[in-house]
Amino acid sequence: MSAKGIAMWRSPRICAAILAPATVLAIALAAALVPVRGLAHAAFLEAEAVQAIRLTARYDTGEPMADARVVVFAPDAPATPHATGRTDARGVYLLVPGPQPGRWTVQVRQDGHGAIIHVDTGAGAPMVVATGAGAPDRVQRAVMVALVVWGALGTALYFRRRREGVVDASG
Amino acid sequence: MPMRPLAVVALCLFALPAPGGTLDLFASGEDLATGGFLAPELTRDGWALEFSRILATFDEVTAWVTDPPFAADGPVISGSALAFGGPMTVDLVDADADDRVALASVPAAPGHYNALSWALVPAQEGEFAGYSLVLEGTARKDGREVGFTLLTADTAAHACGEYLGDERKGFVSGTAGADVEITLHLDHLFGRADKGAEDPMNLAALGFDRFAGGGRHEFALAGLHIGHVGEGHCHVAQP
Repeated sequence: MSAKGIAMWRSPRICAAILAPATVLAIALAAALVPVRGLAHAAFLEAEAVQAIRLTARYDTGEPMADARVVVFAPDAPATPHATGRTDARGVYLLVPGPQPGRWTVQVRQDGHGAIIHVDTGAGAPMVVATGAGAPDRVQRAVMVALVVWGALGTALYFRRRREGVVDASG
Repeated sequence: MPMRPLAVVALCLFALPAPGGTLDLFASGEDLATGGFLAPELTRDGWALEFSRILATFDEVTAWVTDPPFAADGPVISGSALAFGGPMTVDLVDADADDRVALASVPAAPGHYNALSWALVPAQEGEFAGYSLVLEGTARKDGREVGFTLLTADTAAHACGEYLGDERKGFVSGTAGADVEITLHLDHLFGRADKGAEDPMNLAALGFDRFAGGGRHEFALAGLHIGHVGEGHCHVAQP
């Protein structure tokens, strides 16, 4: 390219003249391809009935573990969190196992205290195989996690969240 | 020589290490051991503590693969045992960036080592022979400063379930090792001012006022329950 040509490309006016139509075209294409929140006319909420396990976490004093951190591990990747979430004000967390059978593990932790529960799922009814609550001890302030309801007896609605696993929508 | 390649393959197979990895044992007094009790995490009675040494002696340390997982609901663990042995005396203040001290490492077969048993026992030798746990440091409150050496000669056997923390521990595979951890919760000993006065831990903790004269004091572990696996619990038995 000649020096004149280079100078032309360095000219803001010429560049703007050439790039402006391209920019308009790009914006138009983007507008056509990308949903724009402000132009949406409706929102959709999906709900379905699923089988669920309702866990209740509490301290051995009876106090619920409200807003405690929950981590769920799936059978096929027991060292990698499958989902995370939090208990509600009653210490309740609704676990909806995936389709893979095997041992689901749920940790509930809060303020230096934690508990763990293991639930085997498969062809039959799910079975709690162990709950690491520890012996009730006033000093230890052990955490109890109890499986309260299995959804096979009564299904529960659930809603998907973007970053958390599941929220209890069963009331 | 058609057999030669097979022979080479066979030799290679014999040269490979046995399946499994290494299981590493750590002990930790968490940040309260390395950083001390600093505001707002003062003792339940308002003392700031800084430790120069925390010497703990562990014995009969054993990792277990249990199924169903041991729930820390009794003194007996059933499963496949892997012994670390002991006794081992460790200074929990002299820890790594994660507040942990490496104690031992043993070859381990693949499996999830989801239970840990160990005993806090009196040291057999050394400066503090006869004591299982020694806490040495400086306490400060309201302009006062006292040096202290707190000692217990108690023995406490622990049967613990799975480690509870930011990650699950103990998964040894055919290609990768893992670790397990003994965790001592010092706030169960001294309490925490940032917890409520009626917090069960504070109701039982010793606090520091009783040691405020400084110097050397002995204490009992009965009912204090400082042994954990991360945030996971242990069944504790004292003779």
